[in-house]
Amino acid sequence: MTAAPTEVPATDTAALLLGASVDGGPVDWSRVLRRRSFLELDALARAEALLDGHDARVLCGPFDRLESPWLAPQEVTPQADDGVVVARGVIGGAQAVVVSIEQAFQGGGVGEVSGAKISQALRLAAADSRAGRPVPAVLLLETGGVRLQEANLGLNAVAEICAALLELRPLAPVIGVVAGSVGSFGGLSIATGLCTHVIVTPEARIGLNGPAVIEQEAGVAEFDSGDQALIWAVDGGEQRRRTGLADALVIDDADAVRDAVRRALAAGVTAPGRHRSERLDVLDARLATVDPADPPEPLRLRTLWGQAYEPPPGPALAPRRGRDVRPRAGGTRSSMAAGERGRTWTAALAGTPPQQVIPSVLRADRDDTVLLAVVPDPDNHFYRARQGQVGLTECAALARTLRAITAEDGGREQRRAIVAVVDLPSQAYGRIEEMAGLHQAIAAAVDAADAARVAGHPLVTLVVGKALSGGFLAHGLQSSQILALDDPGVEIHAMHKAAAARITLRTVEQLDELAKSIPPLSYDVRQWATLGFCDGLLTVTDADNPTDADVRTVRAAIAEAVTRARSGPTDLSHRLDSAQAVRVRAASRAVRDALAAQWPAS
Amino acid sequence: MRTLQFTFPATARAAHRAHVGVVGSGDLEILFEPADAVSATVRVRTSVEGFDEVWQATLGRFFARVPLAGSWELNDAAATPALVTLRLQQAAQAAGSDASASHPSTLEAS
Repeated sequence: MTAAPTEVPATDTAALLLGASVDGGPVDWSRVLRRRSFLELDALARAEALLDGHDARVLCGPFDRLESPWLAPQEVTPQADDGVVVARGVIGGAQAVVVSIEQAFQGGGVGEVSGAKISQALRLAAADSRAGRPVPAVLLLETGGVRLQEANLGLNAVAEICAALLELRPLAPVIGVVAGSVGSFGGLSIATGLCTHVIVTPEARIGLNGPAVIEQEAGVAEFDSGDQALIWAVDGGEQRRRTGLADALVIDDADAVRDAVRRALAAGVTAPGRHRSERLDVLDARLATVDPADPPEPLRLRTLWGQAYEPPPGPALAPRRGRDVRPRAGGTRSSMAAGERGRTWTAALAGTPPQQVIPSVLRADRDDTVLLAVVPDPDNHFYRARQGQVGLTECAALARTLRAITAEDGGREQRRAIVAVVDLPSQAYGRIEEMAGLHQAIAAAVDAADAARVAGHPLVTLVVGKALSGGFLAHGLQSSQILALDDPGVEIHAMHKAAAARITLRTVEQLDELAKSIPPLSYDVRQWATLGFCDGLLTVTDADNPTDADVRTVRAAIAEAVTRARSGPTDLSHRLDSAQAVRVRAASRAVRDALAAQWPAS
Repeated sequence: MRTLQFTFPATARAAHRAHVGVVGSGDLEILFEPADAVSATVRVRTSVEGFDEVWQATLGRFFARVPLAGSWELNDAAATPALVTLRLQQAAQAAGSDASASHPSTLEAS
């Protein structure tokens, strides 16, 4: 018997490894019978399959009954472990923690409790690793993203997971496994982009926006969600591997996945600066080879970019700007309105006209503060990001700016404050965005923001308008302090209202009614402010055209937030310690305490 | 979501607690904890309304054959009666119940 097959070289070879017939050749029944599907396993069995002796010590399991408090009031049956298995055990002779998402429950959606289980497991692993007992993590990521029934608590959970992952990653490797069938979509695809090493099967999919939501937002010409071949050509595991957005491609075999995990763990941590989400040189160079008006076919991208995550050899294209830049195939239609508050407030707070990092990303400097905003750019050649959405180039520009500020201040006595001024309708929904790996670009922005915060920059977010979904994860949710204007035009949520209503099978009116009793669902900023991560709700007289008094009020609030950030923790832990969190995020705190109590390795 | 409570006479003992299943579409999870009691107390939380009598009948039939004492929690996402019976049987077996082993015909009978 040969060892379990590992890297899949080509389609025919993959078929041979599976024992299937190629070109009328014989079927290798011994291989067919020997193979044990990983995909068909549930979350616990997947975790067990990776652990030596299949010996999993499950933490915060079903009998701890740490279920979501938000589902039953919405007539949704909860699951006793909220759909996340956290298992301690040994892999290849060394301690590890496996976090496995149960995709059958709520499509693997991240809620308050399931999210807290993931982030707290990563934080505990980081604490042990820091104390000289390395605990690498393996994340089995099958998830549609944020669980819309818990909207803002799920969105925040993703931000906390990303920060916790980045806390562990320098100390012990974090291995992401996307085996299929749900795939890794939404907020947690950003976490996938932060992993030390990503393992996929050909059945896996990784993407920020799923095909259906892109079709809904941008039309069928942009993305036909019924076209399975297109979906796998863009999001599929093999494509992600061939374009360097994943590190290993293995067949759907439990032993093959386990061996790939063992190899990844044995390789240890990646050197600082070498993680995919830190390679802004590659991100920039890759994006420069894509003309959105005439984009390469997904298959062509494999040769254009290559499977090593290195700057591609091809020439950089001069970006064609202008609102007449249209795709050969695709849609420029958008339901999102361009908001001007980001530009307005950035200029007003700085007292000077902001500079363009790129036309859709503004920067303004005032004293010891740098203001950053993503704004509408009707001439954006990436046509899905014209209304202020956070797209590929916006993430690259944000990340580059944050990294530069962090590097520049290395020798300064006191690092500058960085203020994210937020009015953005969402992340960009587009086929080219997904093909190029928007999740990876957002991961770069998240990584850079986290790095700035950890280095000691006070990071303050000021929400002046919309702050939705992946856009807010990319720009705003990694800050130590979050302020928002107390204004009806301020809207913070995991998805815009019409889409959230559709996906949760409700009318907009039903959603509004439900949100009155379930704060994480609410689009009202005053309700959002009760969730535990609001550090100030600011009253202004005119949020669209701020008066001098408004500007003074907000400047003062920012200054206070900067002071608090300088003396507070450089992680996001205070979001669980605020007075509001004690009340509303009781379930997260229960998870934190229970997981810590059950954590010690015997 | 509807919450239903049932109590059935039960005298059989199980060695340990058991968890089976998942709250996925058409499926359910069951948490069973044995008790030194003379009844099985069952709490059903189900996403589907209007099937109270079907639950009564399905559970009644199961506990008549497998009278396993203790606390049963069923978190249901629209499983069929046949699957409910299968999961109950799995839970009883996983709990190390003699009662479940002596009634291999439970599934057929349902």
